[in-house]
Amino acid sequence: MRRFAATLAAALVAGSVPALAQDKPADIGMGVFTFTSGPAAAYGMPGRNAAELMIEQINADGGIGGVPIKPTYVDEAQGGEGVVSEFRRLAEDPEMDVMVAALSSGNCMALAPVADQLQMPMVTWNCDTHQLFLNETHDYVFRPNSSTIPEFVAYAAYLSATDPEATRIAIINPDYAFGHDAAQIFTGAMKAFNPDVEVVAELFPKLGTASFNTEISRIAAARPDVIFSNLWGGDLENFIRQASARGLFRNSKVILALGESVLQRTDLPDGVIVGVLGDGWWMSPDAQANEETKAFVAAYKEKFGEYPVFPAMKMANTILAVKAAYEKAIEASDGWPTRDDLRDALEGLQVDNLTGSVTIREDHDGLVDQVVGVTEPTDDYDFPIIGEMARYPAEKITPPVGEDPMAWIGTLSPDFVSSLPAPGSYK
Amino acid sequence: MDVIIPMLVDGLAASAVIFFIAVGLTLVFSVLRVLNVAHGSFYSIGAYVAVSIGGLAASAGLNPWLSFPILLLSAALTAAALGPFIERTFIRWTYGKPEAVQILVTFALFLIFEDLQKLVFGVQSYYEDSAMQVLGTSEIGGIIYLNYQLLLIALAVLLIVALRVMLSHTRLGKLIVAVVADPEISQTLGINASRVYSAAFTIGVFLAALGGALATPTSGVAPGLGADAIVLGFAVAAIGGLGQIEGAAIAAVIVGITRVLAIYYAPAFEPVMPYLVMLAVLLVRPYGLFGAAQARRI
Repeated sequence: MRRFAATLAAALVAGSVPALAQDKPADIGMGVFTFTSGPAAAYGMPGRNAAELMIEQINADGGIGGVPIKPTYVDEAQGGEGVVSEFRRLAEDPEMDVMVAALSSGNCMALAPVADQLQMPMVTWNCDTHQLFLNETHDYVFRPNSSTIPEFVAYAAYLSATDPEATRIAIINPDYAFGHDAAQIFTGAMKAFNPDVEVVAELFPKLGTASFNTEISRIAAARPDVIFSNLWGGDLENFIRQASARGLFRNSKVILALGESVLQRTDLPDGVIVGVLGDGWWMSPDAQANEETKAFVAAYKEKFGEYPVFPAMKMANTILAVKAAYEKAIEASDGWPTRDDLRDALEGLQVDNLTGSVTIREDHDGLVDQVVGVTEPTDDYDFPIIGEMARYPAEKITPPVGEDPMAWIGTLSPDFVSSLPAPGSYK
Repeated sequence: MDVIIPMLVDGLAASAVIFFIAVGLTLVFSVLRVLNVAHGSFYSIGAYVAVSIGGLAASAGLNPWLSFPILLLSAALTAAALGPFIERTFIRWTYGKPEAVQILVTFALFLIFEDLQKLVFGVQSYYEDSAMQVLGTSEIGGIIYLNYQLLLIALAVLLIVALRVMLSHTRLGKLIVAVVADPEISQTLGINASRVYSAAFTIGVFLAALGGALATPTSGVAPGLGADAIVLGFAVAAIGGLGQIEGAAIAAVIVGITRVLAIYYAPAFEPVMPYLVMLAVLLVRPYGLFGAAQARRI
């Protein structure tokens, strides 16, 4: 009996050794969640490509702390249930260290409690919904990018600065939380800046809509001053092709919140307000001043045949944030950092990236500047670029920690717009 | 009041596309008595073929007016390649079998075709809009419309007339009508019913592929196109009465107009409008607007 107890104690000690010893592993297991099929792949594949390239580059430079990253890619097109199952399966693998997840806000909302439950650090790479940290805290979830509040307030601010007389607004957004939230935020901000603003048409076509022709007629019949849309992926391409052919861009000012992602694929007219839901514009002054960014862009173009659109830059910046967190954790740990060490390192992380910088606040949300501008032609490329840019500082355009975001929007005024950098000031 | 004309034009243009999907489905059902779920795949394959050939023609610098014969050619190629083969290989074995078996077989075909399309064409979207560009635009009721949208309305009307003429005044049409009326007696009279089934199925594939091809200049092609098409096609065919060509046309107009009304006045209801209409019609007339309990007409 004594012998059995001794054996059991030895086994227990031996079993606990790997968790405590934190020997340097053969590689860093990283789950990367994005859409690689379906219409959303138009947005998700640039993210996948950027992850592949950035991980290749990090590994070629010796990895993180001498350990290469071993990515496992998960297609979010399988639906929320499948994505959660994949996350669970990967998280139960002791060789999996961190999750870069996800593109879809809906998937992020579903994954966040699972990450907490499984104590798996989850670093979001897109996942813009402001609801992620609205009423809940997630100890293991971090967002090193911005949320829908600063993103869509930025568009309202830019429009108010460039076209203060615009009062009749039409909205055409996708029929899920991202579209409805954006409509509420943009409308709320516009009304805060100008109480005369009215919504003359509000349409939410379902994801994957092939023809927007009736919606285009409905919007045209409403005679709006401004058309706002956060359609994305294949839907956005379809809408632009159909709306442009039917003269919608000639009669109203158009804001395409995710317009930069299709600049290289569609004939977007000049003067359309576009942005990058953050600061991830590969041609921004900050990006062009960074040799590392220029090398990444050149390598991306060489490998994938097009320049990296902003989802690619968001993914690249997110992986750089994970790398920085690991380096911070390695410095703070005696051995190789555990998942919890990595989680601790992500708290308050501040990191310079390819297009600017990001700071993770105490609520785990990211502070990222917002770049907005208008499409304009250039002799250097066969597609339009973004001109007349404004770079709105993250601290100014993001609600303070703990403040209700919609209530914060209600406190904004025209003075808020005039306190921001003017359109065209970011050169 | 000033939106009535735009709503009517939009409604008819939307109806035209819906009709192209539903008419082939209803024709195949009326002749073969098979609910063909794979019809949605033929729609999307027609679209992929059209966008591929159209893209090749555009990159070769061919006259953009050639886009129109290319759309027709794409549908014909799809029908010729798949129609007789699929009918003889898979569909023929389901004749006279329970509807559940037919649906399972055609659903399996649908799933196989969906994955094959991803293997061949990948997951990205394709666009080839020469036909839309070359026709330009017109202003109706203060709204700019694509002339291509108006062409689709005209083509849908032309298709109804052509199908009716084909069924009433051609040898093949008369053979189809005879087999629909009574397949056993038709065979005793020397009609090769198998060949008629194959021809009818191929015409159904052609109509589905034509619908897909004609949709590409304005909509592009992406994975998932076939699933949307078959769900809508079934709803319209059920509303009109399965097997009723004119019924499908009227049902398409009803569905098209109600969807447009929803977009104008209650956008949140737009996705469910076809199914609300279907529910309302089937509650009152379980065999559809023009269907009859035992009738087997075309």
